[in-house]
Amino acid sequence: MRSTYLFLALMIACGSLFAQKKTTTSATVSFDASTPIDALPKADNQTVIAALDTKTGDVQFEATVKNFTFSNPNIQNHFNGERRMNSDKYPKFTFKGKINDMKKVDFSKNGTYEVTVTGDLTVKDTSKTITVPATLVVKDGVINASSTFTIVLADFGVAADGNKVRKEPEIKVLAEFK
Amino acid sequence: MENKKPKALKRRLLLAAVVLGLAGLGYAWYILSATYDDTSNVKADFNVEATAFIQEFVKDRAAANEKYMEKIISVAGIADDISSPNDSLVTIRFSDSGSGSYAIFSFQENNMEAAKKVQQGEKVTIKGSCSGGNYSEILDLTSIEFKRCIIE
Repeated sequence: MRSTYLFLALMIACGSLFAQKKTTTSATVSFDASTPIDALPKADNQTVIAALDTKTGDVQFEATVKNFTFSNPNIQNHFNGERRMNSDKYPKFTFKGKINDMKKVDFSKNGTYEVTVTGDLTVKDTSKTITVPATLVVKDGVINASSTFTIVLADFGVAADGNKVRKEPEIKVLAEFK
Repeated sequence: MENKKPKALKRRLLLAAVVLGLAGLGYAWYILSATYDDTSNVKADFNVEATAFIQEFVKDRAAANEKYMEKIISVAGIADDISSPNDSLVTIRFSDSGSGSYAIFSFQENNMEAAKKVQQGEKVTIKGSCSGGNYSEILDLTSIEFKRCIIE
């Protein structure tokens, strides 16, 4: 009986040591759609769920639209409204993709790895395949992933009329996987 | 005598344009200068205990979203995870041990330092604006997210 418990304990310990799918509930996604005449359309969401599979290179993100935080309540209402993100109907942004150059990355070794990630970004039920640059910093088993890129709002059916909102906002993603 | 009427009309039109212009500027100022009240100064719509609150979402997410979405809620619970990957970010999480579902809080800038002092396992009360609960495909559970939070 004692050997059975020991075996089970060893199995659990080995499972967590070699776990391939790392997750976080505190990734940050920020976007900046500000223009020279309107500095307000920018926000961040610090409670994004993310996953990274260190064996396959699979990457996933889920961001709750309503948790993007603006400094101005009117701009927040515009962002969530029907003409923009329509967050009552489409509550999440998602990304499902893969690291393209996994051979460059050794998650068991401290270092900084520049990679690209290709996957489907879904906004308002519209998916578009994007390829973005990303930096992975591995230090003592902790992986810090970051990426900065732009998207075209019109590709996702998001209205950006006039010159108060940038039509191609900058998106920044930060995730720490322990 | 004949020229007086057009002049009076012009004056009225000019006055109307000035009034409309000022009203437009006032409205634009109102829209652009608005800010959120500090959550510390806002009365909570609900005072809840974390596990029971999370369970409401697990049992009926649509009803719980209808009840709590965009409301100011004060939640008392045990901090099971504090994440602060850099100086300008901190989140605190309360989890329901049964379902694994959780409520997670991101903080007002003036409350970051207070949030960073919270220890794992500590009982705290956090007040903030509820962004609702969603099912996570990645984690196979319900996450309930809050913004503009403060430690009470």
